[in-house]
Amino acid sequence: MSAELSVDPAAPQAPSARILERGYRRYDGPRRGASGAARSVIRHTVQRCLGLHRPARAKVFPILTLLLAYVPTVIYVGITVLGNRLQRQGVPGREMVNQFIPTYASNYLQVVLAILLFAAFVAPEVLCPDRRTGMLGLYLSAPLTRTRYLVAKAAAVLAMVSIVTVGPPVILLVGYATQGFGPDGLADWVGTIVRILGAGLAVSVLYSAVSLAISSITSRKAAASAAFLALIIGLPSLLTFLVVAGGYSTTLRLGDLFTLPYEAVFRIFEEPSPFLVAGEEELSAATVWAAYAAWLAASVGVIAVSYRRVQVTR
Amino acid sequence: MSASPPTTTNAVAPVVRARGLVKRYGSTSVLDGADVTVLAGVTGLLGANGAGKTTLLGLLLGLHRAQEGSIEVLGLDPSTAGSEVRARVGYAPEHHLLPPDVPADDFVRHLAEVHGLPSSEATSRASDALWWVGLGEERFRPLGTMSTGQRQRVKLAMAIAHDPDLVLLDEPTDGLDPTQRETMLELIRSVGHEFGISVLLSSHLLDEVERTCDRVVILDGGKVVADGPIKELSGTARGVRLEVDEDPTPLVAALVAGGYPAESDGLRVTIGQAEGADDHDALLRVVRDHVADAGLGIRRLEPQVVTLEDIFLGVGQ
Repeated sequence: MSAELSVDPAAPQAPSARILERGYRRYDGPRRGASGAARSVIRHTVQRCLGLHRPARAKVFPILTLLLAYVPTVIYVGITVLGNRLQRQGVPGREMVNQFIPTYASNYLQVVLAILLFAAFVAPEVLCPDRRTGMLGLYLSAPLTRTRYLVAKAAAVLAMVSIVTVGPPVILLVGYATQGFGPDGLADWVGTIVRILGAGLAVSVLYSAVSLAISSITSRKAAASAAFLALIIGLPSLLTFLVVAGGYSTTLRLGDLFTLPYEAVFRIFEEPSPFLVAGEEELSAATVWAAYAAWLAASVGVIAVSYRRVQVTR
Repeated sequence: MSASPPTTTNAVAPVVRARGLVKRYGSTSVLDGADVTVLAGVTGLLGANGAGKTTLLGLLLGLHRAQEGSIEVLGLDPSTAGSEVRARVGYAPEHHLLPPDVPADDFVRHLAEVHGLPSSEATSRASDALWWVGLGEERFRPLGTMSTGQRQRVKLAMAIAHDPDLVLLDEPTDGLDPTQRETMLELIRSVGHEFGISVLLSSHLLDEVERTCDRVVILDGGKVVADGPIKELSGTARGVRLEVDEDPTPLVAALVAGGYPAESDGLRVTIGQAEGADDHDALLRVVRDHVADAGLGIRRLEPQVVTLEDIFLGVGQ
């Protein structure tokens, strides 16, 4: 923008200058196209979810959830430090620590509340206001297509949920490794890192997809969050009752979205499922992954149908 | 307002050229064979509520597809090159719903980025656009705390911040008081005439189109019923209005017999041009002579000028 400065010659001091007109200039520099638009949407969405550039009250939820996710993990790392100190004082601290600290898979069960809260509140925050406030129409009148918009939003949700699914086990890995409880040798390191990333993404992808699917149906954030929590917490209670009290097949548990992603996690780490009731037959890995894929496909289908129907202008 | 000369808008080639557009929602036909041409400058898209204006804007943006017909926007087909078209078009929708907790500056900057501007450029242009629309001091306020007039100005800033070649404004004065409305129309005139950005202004308000636009496209029942420069469409003398002091029936009969379409309403007579004739002075002489022959006195004699309102109301009937 061109600026014209008016300076009073009688008063040569700088404060006498002021901008009278800012003008307008054309822009003929590079434009970033649809992929740049998608990157901007991802960045803006993540900032919104974290409460950045928003009032203080918008920062409370993400900070509390992050504390819920990371404090237990940091405590476990602290316990390993303590164990080593005890060991140096002649107390069998490392044995005690080994009894106490969680595996990478079981650590998910320590932060399950943070993961659920993030999944329940992030996706509605990401999708619902755009339809409610007309932002969707503004995005789609930019170079974004519906598909690109949804992919950008899904990437933002995935990134957000991954903060609480990938971050804690990574901290655990670093903490365990520095205290001598971590993987041994290059192959073990690579294997552990791949499993941590795979497990974190497995949880993030499924919860993000389901939460986005629910958020694509309603433009009310509270309704979407409540529906997600009801599906994750209410449905498993019913299914468990049917399996345990009604004697129905264990495969009915595949509809249990509370445990399904963690069933997948325990299979990634090749650990036995902690969700089995005595006498129950363990579900095969193939069955678990098939159920995972079915839930994922159903969620993507719901999102696609919902957004195909959305009228932007008419 | 200083402005560098237009660089990207071709003054000759149409900015928008649509032929035979048909758009139906179920059994409801919204556009029914509309032909639309928009040239550089400020063009009004005039029509009653439900005439198909917003649907046409959606088609120009490539947000939905016409069942029949062809569209070119800035030389591109929005149904196949929608992203490229939308990168070069600014759009301010009719609704006032905007994210309430987002500061105006963040909102405009983000949408400039989404339209392809690099982050630093988007930041400076968003700030400048908000200054230009008169919200320099208010630009860090959340949109939810702004008045309707301020939000309309934010939408205009948003539409031009990424320096488009064409701006589509859907009812940009909706909800504004007369002073705010005049300010907004002045800003729109500046965009079209000083910045070199073509403007398509959708409105159902006749006078704001007449005062702001160079050209007009009038939609009615999904069809374009008038399209051209406002000066050509209105202000043209198409006949004569006459008021006499006695019964004009013999005069009317004589005029009709002479090939001039004429009709009376009490003492008032409206006379049109004879078929194939367009000399207004000649018509005045003919009317004067016939009035003298009929022995009538003239109370009033004036050219019958067609206004945009005549066209608008005429097509609305």
